[in-house]
Amino acid sequence: MAVTARISPQAPARKKKMRRPRGLTRAAYTWGSVITGLAAWQLFGMYVIRNSLFLATPSQSFVSMAKLWSTGTLQNAIVVSGEEFIVGFLIASVAGIIIGLFTATFDRVSLVLSPWVSGLYATPIIAVAPLLILWFGVGIWSKIAVVISLVIFPMIISTEAGIRHTDQQLVEAARSFGATQMQIFTKVALPSALPLILAGLRLGVGRGLIGVVVGELAGARAGIGYLINEASQVFNMPQLFAGVIVLAAAGIFLTAGFERLERVLVPWKSDA
Amino acid sequence: MRSMHASQVAHKLSIRHLSKCFRDLEVLSDISVDVSEGEFVGIVGPSGCGKTTFLRIVDGLESADDGEIRIDGRVTTKPGPDRAFVFQNDSLFPWRNVWRNATMGLEIQGRLRSHTRKRVRGLLELVGLGGFERFYPRQLSGGMRQRLNLARALAVNPEVLLMDEPFAALDAQTREIMQTELLRIWEATRATVLFITHQIDEAVYLSDRVLVFSRRPGKIQEDIRIELPRPREFKIKRSAEFTAYVARIWTLIENAVRESVMEDRLVSSSSERPESGT
Repeated sequence: MAVTARISPQAPARKKKMRRPRGLTRAAYTWGSVITGLAAWQLFGMYVIRNSLFLATPSQSFVSMAKLWSTGTLQNAIVVSGEEFIVGFLIASVAGIIIGLFTATFDRVSLVLSPWVSGLYATPIIAVAPLLILWFGVGIWSKIAVVISLVIFPMIISTEAGIRHTDQQLVEAARSFGATQMQIFTKVALPSALPLILAGLRLGVGRGLIGVVVGELAGARAGIGYLINEASQVFNMPQLFAGVIVLAAAGIFLTAGFERLERVLVPWKSDA
Repeated sequence: MRSMHASQVAHKLSIRHLSKCFRDLEVLSDISVDVSEGEFVGIVGPSGCGKTTFLRIVDGLESADDGEIRIDGRVTTKPGPDRAFVFQNDSLFPWRNVWRNATMGLEIQGRLRSHTRKRVRGLLELVGLGGFERFYPRQLSGGMRQRLNLARALAVNPEVLLMDEPFAALDAQTREIMQTELLRIWEATRATVLFITHQIDEAVYLSDRVLVFSRRPGKIQEDIRIELPRPREFKIKRSAEFTAYVARIWTLIENAVRESVMEDRLVSSSSERPESGT
């Protein structure tokens, strides 16, 4: 902390901890892990389970991916699934945050909604996905409905928890300055809930992707889930794994994106 | 040295017959006290004597069951810009940097203007945090955090500063330094201060007057004027006068403290304890 030293000889105390890898080293760990994993999978598929009916190797999957790309099928699937994911995720997170703010602020709202929220959160909505297809048709809205139903409940729960866990001492500090209820909400409760809200969004990414695929498995005409389904019915393992790899990559990049967003919006928590 | 005859000035803070119960437990019983402008009043007493509750009522964080509080003659029952509270735990906002913490009170009160900003800048210098404006609380040491806490309270330019064991969480050495720092800052601002502490020597060192609270229900057992010259230097703590004050106050509360320690021992294993830490 050279800056500190320049301002004052009395540098702020920093907790000693295990040295954390930084910058390029961090990237090396992450990419090293991915590449090692793929290599192990490749070797396993080449020498242990050699029947591609049971396990396609990464190389076979990538070849399949390239083929799908050249016909435009893959791009189309990504666009269709991406749209379903983005629309569903946006609706679910906005609605989830708003509902969570309400349940945390008004006890009555919480009492009325909490059995439904915790009940539906634990329900394998995946099981009723075919029903949603029946209701909303095979188009985009049925998948959006599945995504919403999977993402909204953890969003409500994490927002509510974030608001409820507001440090009461901070509320008192604001109150002693004469803060109004509204000021306590905007200046204390909301910022202190932000980390949990963002964590909820990050966790929602995985559930949202599952929602897209499940919705498409239950009935669709395009999309990554549709590609996977199509492949599994004809035992085209390379195509199946191609779809899985696309999903995994989407999960990795979206989660990393949200982590970056957290560092920007919650700078007081990160080492800066 | 300032003249301290209460009769000359109208009282800054006037408290009459203050009482408070938590359910059927009487915490404060008929407290009356006057504090003059610019006076530094220490408050000591055994734990559980209601000191903190007293201070919280003065700030308006809690309501009294009986009695009234007047500041410059006006009755108050709610928190207001004329008072500021320094909590035992620094209670800084972790998502706000030093500057935004220091200006929080002004922001809440809608008084953040160029001249108040300037004032805050001066205060941060005064408490030794100039240049640290962009640091977050978690990057500061315990002493720095508590100085920021103090600056945040002083930023609203309170007429009465209420301090609830502000140095209790600090280690002994930092604490001694903070006492001297507090005196230096107080000499510069001359706010009226009510200062709770468990440490008798801290109370004697800082105060013009020390109020000794009795055991529950809290009452003012003694009101002792500390006639030590100001500005006080650290070495005054080794003077015979100083030691005499400490000894006198300690004798006053010794038995009460002993009893409350025994009581705590008896209760601590069994059920709930009402309002610990008051």
